Amino acid sequence: MNYVLQTHELCKQYHGKSAVKSVSMNIGTGDIYGFLGQNGAGKTTTMRMIMGLITPTSGSIELFGSTVSGSMNKVFERMGSIIEYPGFYLNLSGAENLEIHRRFMGMGNKECIDEVLKMVGLLEARKQRVKNYSLGMKQRLGLARALLHHPELLVLDEPTNGLDPAGIREMRQLFLNLAKHQGITFLISSHLLGEVEQLATKIGIIHKGSLIEELDAEALRSKTRTCLEIHVTDERRAALVVEQELHNWDYKIVGSGILRLYQYLDKPEQVNSCLQSKGIGVKSIALSGESLEDYFLKLTGGDCHI
Amino acid sequence: MIIPVVLANLVSLAMLLPKIMVTGEVVGANLQAIFYRQGNVVTILGPFIFALITGYVLAREYSDRTINQLFTYPVSRMRILTAKFFVIFTLIVVTTLLSCASVIIVGVVKAFEGAASFDTLTSGMFMNLTVCLLAFGTIPLAAAVSMVAKNVIPTMVLGAFASFVTLILELGHGMKAILFPWATPYLLVREFGEGFAQTGANPYTGTAITILIITFIVSLLFCLIYYHKSEVHSGS
Repeated sequence: MNYVLQTHELCKQYHGKSAVKSVSMNIGTGDIYGFLGQNGAGKTTTMRMIMGLITPTSGSIELFGSTVSGSMNKVFERMGSIIEYPGFYLNLSGAENLEIHRRFMGMGNKECIDEVLKMVGLLEARKQRVKNYSLGMKQRLGLARALLHHPELLVLDEPTNGLDPAGIREMRQLFLNLAKHQGITFLISSHLLGEVEQLATKIGIIHKGSLIEELDAEALRSKTRTCLEIHVTDERRAALVVEQELHNWDYKIVGSGILRLYQYLDKPEQVNSCLQSKGIGVKSIALSGESLEDYFLKLTGGDCHI
Repeated sequence: MIIPVVLANLVSLAMLLPKIMVTGEVVGANLQAIFYRQGNVVTILGPFIFALITGYVLAREYSDRTINQLFTYPVSRMRILTAKFFVIFTLIVVTTLLSCASVIIVGVVKAFEGAASFDTLTSGMFMNLTVCLLAFGTIPLAAAVSMVAKNVIPTMVLGAFASFVTLILELGHGMKAILFPWATPYLLVREFGEGFAQTGANPYTGTAITILIITFIVSLLFCLIYYHKSEVHSGS
């Protein structure tokens, strides 16, 4: 697999205290990587190291297949970012702020400013001074700036902060479209677990500076998906019955005598009677599975401060 | 930027005041006196105004958090810092020349008396440009404070302190005043003293310039290293 971003044993210490401990992330081309963690877990510090704003105490960062050492100027041309809170020259308009960015990035075409403002829904406010923008508008403008130079990798720290539910949905749709149609890779930190769950193709969970879990969406779904957990006398025969009688192949045998059925969640009595009618003893049948929030809390020890 | 320019141009109001000699005699303002007054005010207000400009150009990147973006552009930090110093120097020149032009206009319209020679005019302009150059000598120090504090207030405090000390030193009209780096630009203003100050060659010129150059080089080196190496943390 081609990786856009990899970190190898990335560490950051402040006065002997570790803020980030041996973080090894792997973000492939086209991934939407959801970076989850409690406040102070090390998300922003990790992102700052990736963007060259902080020097790692140890470890290395590989961007677009090359290890970053010294100047990052070349890779900056291929990256866009919002770190923590998008800062702007408040006395200038949104379009003027983007014009500064356009010049810094060495882009010739001025029309890209209006294109990107339209994309984030700020075209009408293009001439308004940024000091009069709402928090949500600034967030959108930050995204417009991050997108202006057509980056291959977007590093977004809490990009939906300050957006209303409709705005969050719009952004989600935008991210999905960009990933799908332009092949942009995303590294997104968020405290909205549901949001990440709907968006991410890969998830990394950081806790107290350590990356404690990194898994793709498929693996996460199988871990967190709600199912009917059926304890039976013979799991293989039970599977056969599920296939032949219930015409369902969405199940998994997870152990001796345990079968997880991901359909018929609201019809356990039908499943039960079907199995029993075929002579399979059903010891118990119950709804099982956990939400991403439950899973996150289990991994981080239960104290949720995200 | 409007505030420093307005402050600098308040100098022109001094033209409305009568010029009183040490003997108590009231005389009209001639071109030499105009440049002397203007030079005095620029060199006294300069440390504060120029520190304010420096703080604005450098520290606001931190307080407005635009530094996060600035340091992720494909441009070296050294180039960014060089551009910022260039902007600061340009603003110093613009502020000083605006003050100079404003004073001449008000002087001519309202209070100008006596002969005006071309030599005095060119000397006055030369004084102003040299003041800009010498005033720039302390800018890296103000820049260093802005970078470390990441806030414009400490730089303003430094500028206010430097202006206050310069005011005291200039009121003394002494030759040694120029040894204080922020008061070194006064070196040329004194030549327009017209009886107020001791004029003629200042024996401390070499020492003053050396102190200013050392101040400039040491603080500039600090700025270059600090800007290149500094990390941008949350809340910076």
